[in-house]
Amino acid sequence: MNKDAQMRATINQKLIETGERERLKDLLRAKLIECGWKDQLKAHCKDVIKEKGLEHVTVDDLVAEITPKGRGKKTQKQAS
Amino acid sequence: MSPPAAGCCHVTGFKVENWKQNLRAIYQCFVWSGSAETRKRKAKSCICHMCGAHLNRLHSCLYCVFFGCFTKKHIHEHAKTKRHNLERGGGGGGRKADSWEVGEAATMEQPGERDIDGEEYGAPRQSWQRFNRKHRAIDLLYGGIYCFMCQDYIYDKDMEQIAKEEQRKAWKLQAFTPTVVSHYQCTMTGIGEKYSTWEPTKRELELLRHNPKRRKITTNCTIDNLNVLFLKYTNAYASPPPSVFIGLRGLINLGNTCFMNCIVQALTHTPLLRDFFLSDRHKCEMQSPSSCLVCEMSTLFQEFYSGHRSPHIPYRLLHLVWTHARHLAGYEQQDAHEFLIAALDVLHRHCKGDDNGKKANNPNHCNCIIDQIFTGGLQSDVTCQVCHGVSTTIDPFWDISLDLPGSSTPFWPLSPGSDGSVVNGESHVSGTTTLTDCLRRFTRPEHLGSSAKIKCSGCHSYQESTKQLTMKKLPIVACFHLKRFEHSAKLRRKITTYVSFPLELDMTPFMASSKESRMNGQYQQPTDSLNNDNKYLLFYHKQFLEYE
Repeated sequence: MNKDAQMRATINQKLIETGERERLKDLLRAKLIECGWKDQLKAHCKDVIKEKGLEHVTVDDLVAEITPKGRGKKTQKQAS
Repeated sequence: MSPPAAGCCHVTGFKVENWKQNLRAIYQCFVWSGSAETRKRKAKSCICHMCGAHLNRLHSCLYCVFFGCFTKKHIHEHAKTKRHNLERGGGGGGRKADSWEVGEAATMEQPGERDIDGEEYGAPRQSWQRFNRKHRAIDLLYGGIYCFMCQDYIYDKDMEQIAKEEQRKAWKLQAFTPTVVSHYQCTMTGIGEKYSTWEPTKRELELLRHNPKRRKITTNCTIDNLNVLFLKYTNAYASPPPSVFIGLRGLINLGNTCFMNCIVQALTHTPLLRDFFLSDRHKCEMQSPSSCLVCEMSTLFQEFYSGHRSPHIPYRLLHLVWTHARHLAGYEQQDAHEFLIAALDVLHRHCKGDDNGKKANNPNHCNCIIDQIFTGGLQSDVTCQVCHGVSTTIDPFWDISLDLPGSSTPFWPLSPGSDGSVVNGESHVSGTTTLTDCLRRFTRPEHLGSSAKIKCSGCHSYQESTKQLTMKKLPIVACFHLKRFEHSAKLRRKITTYVSFPLELDMTPFMASSKESRMNGQYQQPTDSLNNDNKYLLFYHKQFLEYE
């Protein structure tokens, strides 16, 4: 593991230990709901499920479909 | 509509002796850590055994102690390689220890003796079924169970039950340990329970099946899952009423009670109040629930949204209001604005469940629905004319009472610093008084005069001063009261000046923050139509009738 990754791992450890990580996650969750990101992605999920059919769709399918959209949208919202 | 329980056949191999205990242990130690020590353990050990990363959707094998990335397929590799491995030691990734001794999971059965499936270490695999036990992993982030045979997450009813219980336990632990985290979470939710989506019990399902009629309120309601809204009343109609009428009902006048009726109409159509009451959020703590005005409001909302078209007779509400606001009792004409304030006050008091009428200790700390919706903050700045020191107070308010032109007190001139710019699409040159004019007058600096000197803490003496009101915090629903009734020693008259009001109201020029930036010489930007921070939409207007 190079130094960079090591540092990241240490920071992450500290974040989990103090519980800050959970707090940051909650904060991020709230902000994403506020700006409508969650609802948009939820609607997109529903579309994917309709396309693929409820019986055949897997979590991996959904992850593959919405990850790029979710990440792209997030930077858009944060910029505005 | 039974609870989503889609387990898979491969899971039965997992459910051998003590599987519940072992699963719980995994949840407690690695998924939802409630206490500080479990958090430490989670922080140290939750990394991929193959690449050391902690991101990438880490999963834990349900058969042995192996953490692997999902995205990088490390956990998939592990599941595959383990299938061919008869012995307990070794296996994918070169990691030796397979037992749960890693991380000192002391809550497990004595480490070193049995593995997660209750098998003795070193015992050779006897039956072919045992291979199946390796094909499951648990997502360390969300607690989902993944089956490699089905290649998807599965939702086994028993396992889901355990997961939910463990999550709730961990959350409770976090909420009550005195750390910065728990305080934040407590203030976020205000209650001791983490939000989780509603899953109907058997009894609720029965009731829903017996009452198949569903009512859709509106499209932008904040209640989720409108089609399972639970109403107390169901009546057979020849044909169901069109949804556009839902929530519209007339009110019978019980003798000069139109002042009450119009306020009741306004309140029942306030979307946030409506959603609060229709989702049954009031928990009555009063000693005698029959005297609780909030409960009565709840019943009133049920009446309004029941679909009945006949006018409603609010006699119980009237009686309760008379009981709790004596000054409004009797059949005389009353002021609607007075009624609104009295009603909000009683609702606010009853929301706290206090029966003996104790006044709110600190209005700023109340979190009842009334305060959440209606309370704003009004800033009052008193500036000493000699030393220019400013003394500021902020008072909570439920409504703003605005003076009108045509009263004996002069309406113009406006504040000396007003820029005369176009606000809310109007300019006051047109001649008609607008709501914005009234607000501008309300927020103008006022010279208090030599007969009303204020003791200045800077000069230590009585000095002349100016006072200015601005909005510090805007409520979600703002009520503006136009003072049409003028009382003086000689007369009681009604001011009939026409006041126009816009459909959209921008409060930015009247905010305390705007005043500050004006004073600091900052350029006042024209109102940005994309910024919706201080904007209101009109949704109710009450026109007073002519009284005698």
